[in-house]
Amino acid sequence: MSTVFYQTFERHAHGAGLKGHATHYCAGCGHGLVQKYLAESIEELGVQDRTVAISPVGCAVFMYYYLDVGNTQAAHGRAPAVAIGHKMANPESIVISYQGDGDLASIGLAEIMQAAQMGLPMTVIFVNNAIYGMTGGQMAPTTLSGQVTATSPAGRTREMGQPLKMAELIAQLDGPVYVERVALYDNKQRTRAQRAILKAIRMQAEGRGFAFVEVLSECPTHLKATPEEAEQWVKEKMTPIFPLGVKKDLETEPWFAMKKPNHSVQKLMEVIGANKKKTPTFCQAFPEQIDSQDIALKLAGAGGDGAQTAAMLITRAAINEGFDATHIPSYGPESRGGTSFADVHIASEEVLSPASPTPHILVAFNAPSLMKFGPTVQPGGTILYDSTVISEVPNVQDDVQLYGIPFTQIAADLGKVLVKNIVALGALQAATDLMPKESLLTAIQQALANKCAMIPLNEAAFESGAEALCLEMDRRN
Amino acid sequence: MIKATKQKERPKPFLFPEFCKACGRCITACPKNCITFGDTINPKSGLMPVQIDMELCNGCGLCLSACPEPYGLMPQVDNHEPIDPKTLFGEKNSTASKAVRVPDEVLPLPDMNPLIIKGTYASAIGAALAGCRHFFGYPITPSTEGAELMAKILPELNGVFVQAVSEVATVNMMYGCGGAGMRCMTFTSSPGFSLMLEGISYMIGAEVPGVFVNVMRGGPGLGNIAPEQGDIKLACRGLGHGNTYAVVLAPSTPQEMLELTMLAFQLSFKYRHPVIILADGYLGQMTGKVNLPKEMVKPGLPDWAVFGDEAHRANLICSIELSEQDLEQHNLHLMEKYDRMISTEQRADCYFCDDAEIVLVATNTPSRMAKGAVEELRRAGIRVGLFRPISLWPFPIDAFEQSISEARKIVVVEAGNGQLEDEIRLAMSKAGIMNYLPIEHIQRYGGVLPSKQAIVDQILAKEVQQ
Ligand code: SF4
Ligand code: SF4
Ligand code: SF4
Repeated sequence: MSTVFYQTFERHAHGAGLKGHATHYCAGCGHGLVQKYLAESIEELGVQDRTVAISPVGCAVFMYYYLDVGNTQAAHGRAPAVAIGHKMANPESIVISYQGDGDLASIGLAEIMQAAQMGLPMTVIFVNNAIYGMTGGQMAPTTLSGQVTATSPAGRTREMGQPLKMAELIAQLDGPVYVERVALYDNKQRTRAQRAILKAIRMQAEGRGFAFVEVLSECPTHLKATPEEAEQWVKEKMTPIFPLGVKKDLETEPWFAMKKPNHSVQKLMEVIGANKKKTPTFCQAFPEQIDSQDIALKLAGAGGDGAQTAAMLITRAAINEGFDATHIPSYGPESRGGTSFADVHIASEEVLSPASPTPHILVAFNAPSLMKFGPTVQPGGTILYDSTVISEVPNVQDDVQLYGIPFTQIAADLGKVLVKNIVALGALQAATDLMPKESLLTAIQQALANKCAMIPLNEAAFESGAEALCLEMDRRN
Repeated sequence: MIKATKQKERPKPFLFPEFCKACGRCITACPKNCITFGDTINPKSGLMPVQIDMELCNGCGLCLSACPEPYGLMPQVDNHEPIDPKTLFGEKNSTASKAVRVPDEVLPLPDMNPLIIKGTYASAIGAALAGCRHFFGYPITPSTEGAELMAKILPELNGVFVQAVSEVATVNMMYGCGGAGMRCMTFTSSPGFSLMLEGISYMIGAEVPGVFVNVMRGGPGLGNIAPEQGDIKLACRGLGHGNTYAVVLAPSTPQEMLELTMLAFQLSFKYRHPVIILADGYLGQMTGKVNLPKEMVKPGLPDWAVFGDEAHRANLICSIELSEQDLEQHNLHLMEKYDRMISTEQRADCYFCDDAEIVLVATNTPSRMAKGAVEELRRAGIRVGLFRPISLWPFPIDAFEQSISEARKIVVVEAGNGQLEDEIRLAMSKAGIMNYLPIEHIQRYGGVLPSKQAIVDQILAKEVQQ
């Protein structure tokens, strides 16, 4: 007997009486054999300490009673997902996912497909006995056509589907390197099964890939047969539908290697983009000409107008200046070309309400935005809009300053329509003196730190926006 | 000579009759017909074990490979005499050594500039600072950006990002990875969180840590992707089947997204239990200033983990307790944990509550609107305060009781149909608070948040009436 079995099955009814050394399986059940071969293979390969066995839900749910390895018991069908978790946690562990047909081929189809398709080195043992054992002999996805079960009392009909051939299905995928279907009904098949299980674990231990062994197994209890009759049934009835043999066996070199997680402070700071560089500040005081403690802005346009980026730059500049600031995008449609608006708040102490239902400042990049949000701007507020595309202006509240600046035209003249949002920022700065222009330019430079070539164009766009606004003001005076 | 050696390598079978289930698989396996069904009942097993005629046996071993029982047919060693199994197998269950806990290390961080990031990013960075290097998730708006950041940074830290096939697979990957003792997490949003609940119940049952960040969105059903607070009941009262509770933390700023994610990992491992962070769609998307903490964590390895090495071989991660007595004991053990959480993990923030006649209660983004309302109402001379529970479970009832000591009414502000209010009512009733203050509410649904103005207006309207 293999040393990979516990010396006493403490977890089986606290190891009392015969249960301390006997399995819970019915007489002649294939599960006992498969687990014996597993234990022997683990022993032969010398991987007992590294092995994590995942017990499924089904008759094999208590596999952890027997195998003296690291054990995890999984929810119904999810063993392959649990196995992925284990393999990722410790790539050196030998992870064996053990499942029956209800577990793997019905409720857990998605999980086994993903695990196989990912192709991480792990071993899946799939015990197919064409029936639900634990719940009492109901139809399984692998139940044969015509087979009588508790839920197909007149035999499985065509409407109930045809038996699912998992080994063939799994072999179709690119992830697995080794797929074989074996059986247990005679000495020859048992030897093949032993070899297949050994190989499937070895493939993993050598880092070669995902290995899947389907074992046609006997459930004498629900076949209502003696073990010997059950062996004959598997041989005569199952194997024509589920042909035995190797379905896939790739010559692969060991490829799987993962580094140990990095917990260095320096690396983490680098990765999250944290730095110590002092950002210069330019503000003398909070822009109280707009509000004494909390300024609300709204930037709105079509997706792609750059409203979010402009909002982000204002937020960054304000935080650089030591104020509190928030930016909330109207998410969703923005990435799909619909309208997009951003709410920005700048507060001397703390932003309390981050939404801007009644902003002090509105920047509108298209007509619908101006129509919708123009009337919400507070009395005494400021609206800037793109006069290249907007000709009609809504009624606004008292003392609201409206400036139509051709953002798009100016940007196009500079050679890149995309910078219209920066043109708008320049105009915004000139119109409201929200922050010194150096604050906003610094934020632009920081945002373009990885695309330095873009900085001059953006600076030019900012200046042009500011100039256009000054011209407009001069015209009015 | 050769023959003799061969003989030695092919031991004959040996059987403890009480471990034979009389399945007969060895009988058909034996080419020599040495094995036959028995005709005497074994007094220990009540079955009729097979009989082996050793005279005919050539030690081919085929019957050994046909016996499904671990302690059924086994190779005979020299002069094997049937002896008491207890003596043969020994008292020791497993030869695995006892695992030692590797403690976490706390590493000091240098002074850094604040980050300017959105809430989901802040949470992801908080996780990285807490030592999380394993992420499992399924994309769902408005939580996905957190996952996207993880997908970017984890590979650079030799960590792991796995996009699972579903939320169901996600939570089970976390079950495996957390069970192996690693710090892992996911970002999800309401419909995805619903799908994870079964798995969370398993994690609680099997005592597996893991952090779930649920960026709540509008429901029911597919609903929309705007912010709501409709999952409070799921997180506080409905973590899957069974007697399940877990610490539920509710941030209200990007800064808190970072800090509470770090705290969540700490609590998750302290209690060996999942921890839920409930954020809302607004907060997840909101960009703000986030200061980095003074320290980060380099995680150790717990002694209970199924890590897949020699030290942890004896361990088991499992939520089954077959006997009623065992399962009751396990539930009592979990309840003892819940009691400890209730007594030590209540967290709240009180804003102008000391003299407040009206106490607003709000959490997540609505608490910011409420805070704005408090400022404005105070300017109008009304004594209003804000009580903001940071732990929704356990509800910070001790702090709440204090904060309402001067109050004549409570107003619950939430983006939902009273799920937060239910938590308050339940907590008050359990704590035996009998002063029956009237509880009013200001609610919006479907992705609309109560605005500061709506709060101010409703309170002013009632105050003027009085
Ligand atoms: S019900 Fe069938 S599969 Fe389950 S233990 Fe019994 S024989 Fe084996
Ligand atoms: S070892 Fe071979 S010959 Fe002897 S009983 Fe077993 S199967 Fe028969
Ligand atoms: S195979 Fe094992 S359990 Fe079955 S009859 Fe033979 S000795 Fe007994």
